[in-house]
Amino acid sequence: MDFLAATIRIATPLLLAALGGILSERAGVFAVGLEGMMLAGAFAAAVATWASGSDLVGIGAALAGGAVIGLLVALVAVRFRADQMVTGLSANIFAAGVTSYLLRANGGRAPSIHLDPLANWPVPWLADLPVLGPLLFNHPPLTYLAAAGCVALTWWLGRTQAGLTLRATGENPEAVFASGGNPARTRLLAVIACGAVAGLGGAVLSLQQVGTFTDNMTGGRGYLALASLIVGRWTPAGAAAACLVFGAADAFGLRLQTFGLPASSYVLQMAPYVIALAVLAGLGRSAKLPAAIGQSLE
Amino acid sequence: MNTLAFRLFLAVLLAVLCAAALIALSGHNPLEAFAAIASGAAGSPHALGVSLNKTTPYLLAGSGVALCFRAGIINIGAEGQIAIGGLGAATAALVWPVESPVVAIGVALLAAALAGAAWAGLAAAIHLGRHVHEVLVTLLLNFIAMLLVQQALAGALGAPGAGFLQSPLLPRAAWLAHPFAELGAHPGILVGVAASGGLSLLLWRSRFGFALRVAGASRQAAAYAGLSLPALTWGAMLLAGALAGLAGGIEVLGIHRRLIEGFSLGFGFKAVAVALLGALEPLAVVPAALFVGMLEAGSLSMQRQVGVPSSLVAVIEGLTMLFALAAMARR
Repeated sequence: MDFLAATIRIATPLLLAALGGILSERAGVFAVGLEGMMLAGAFAAAVATWASGSDLVGIGAALAGGAVIGLLVALVAVRFRADQMVTGLSANIFAAGVTSYLLRANGGRAPSIHLDPLANWPVPWLADLPVLGPLLFNHPPLTYLAAAGCVALTWWLGRTQAGLTLRATGENPEAVFASGGNPARTRLLAVIACGAVAGLGGAVLSLQQVGTFTDNMTGGRGYLALASLIVGRWTPAGAAAACLVFGAADAFGLRLQTFGLPASSYVLQMAPYVIALAVLAGLGRSAKLPAAIGQSLE
Repeated sequence: MNTLAFRLFLAVLLAVLCAAALIALSGHNPLEAFAAIASGAAGSPHALGVSLNKTTPYLLAGSGVALCFRAGIINIGAEGQIAIGGLGAATAALVWPVESPVVAIGVALLAAALAGAAWAGLAAAIHLGRHVHEVLVTLLLNFIAMLLVQQALAGALGAPGAGFLQSPLLPRAAWLAHPFAELGAHPGILVGVAASGGLSLLLWRSRFGFALRVAGASRQAAAYAGLSLPALTWGAMLLAGALAGLAGGIEVLGIHRRLIEGFSLGFGFKAVAVALLGALEPLAVVPAALFVGMLEAGSLSMQRQVGVPSSLVAVIEGLTMLFALAAMARR
């Protein structure tokens, strides 16, 4: 029971970041910058909540913080047509530096930020169900948001005109252009939206789980989210399943440590990356990456 | 080339100006902070030695990355290749202790280069054999490499006692000497400069280098000319992997004298940064790596003397990369 709760807890920030990454990659832009977007979101959420005393302001700031990194990536990779992956990496280095710097900008020492983590919102009646209630219907708000976002993104990508345009931009931008669309603008907006959603994933860490911001607190979760959307083959439901599997592997690793079992937690931590690599290698050419991903627009 | 060099200079200048604005924002004098960086990086022979030591891994790995990028192979796996190189060097030195320093160091560095090349070769094999995008392969292998090092240190190669994972101290014969007395630097920087010179010759004066440049300019043209893209990819990846592995080995033998968890953290991404800043020209990676090495060596004294957080360096590095990418973009 605890194990399942820990799995969901670990999967939540990954899922939000992966949903953002799907927006970006389905539009044809590799989402290597997820790490920096999450970190900026976590930072902005913690500082804004601390300064204003309002969680809502903090969540707004997380959206904005992630979007700023998204805007940077979008400008350099879409507007200037630089290599998308290297741009993402650069944005990650920048985000790690700038959040750490700004935290100490006032007097050279980091302020001690202590926030009350967001409280659980039990769903009336449903939360009282045996077994399922505490597992599914008694979570903090951002966890519900991640689950809802997963459903919403599936619907939006598959059933709306805008979603179709976004997918077409990732598959065949020339066709979008020929039919009167503006693929560069679509990509720009998709990457900025990716930043905002991934920023929310960062807010899960700082507002909902830890209650403060520390340097580099995402600790590679952005890359893990990238791996999960690959394993989930660029669909929200698939990414959610992958996030849960990765979360379970991580939770299992923590169990091993507390019980002092001989199996190695490092090998377990390797699992997500090995699985992602195996999925890519196993599928080979049939991996169905968005066809125009990584290509710059002429 | 000339205009590109100018645009890259502007990129650095713009990044430094942004950093100056951030320093002013936190209530300090930017000029004072930059002066503290300069004195911390080159104010004394010892400071210069620290700068040179910091420059070495970026130069070695960055030259290899530049070669790959030239051929249109986006290899961001230096991070993992450095880690595995360090693992190779430490394993060789611990498993086969010999009296002679020449043999001990030679064997350890050879093991480092081979291990790095093998890790890059694994990436090349998955990329070519299964048609997986090379960036995804190298990126994912970075994490696996880092965890492999931790696993080795938690198991057979580890020594208890520290608060973090580390190997026992390597036998003294395998330590890289610091022959320049006042500098206190190990000779790795010379290896780095020689490597970038060698790669530059290879790139501009050899048939292989010409083929790499053709492939980088146009894959279709290269295929039409009968060049083998897989052979080129193998060649560039193995060379870059060997150099990155060597960087890891030199770091282990010259600085830590043992394998430490996370010793390579961030090195690979900075290798990409210096490769870009050097306009993918191996010889120009020398000043680019020196710039980053000196920034890092000087940042701590800036924090100490002026009170500006040393994380400013990462801001400058990240912004320089972003601006350099925009400056190098095709118009």
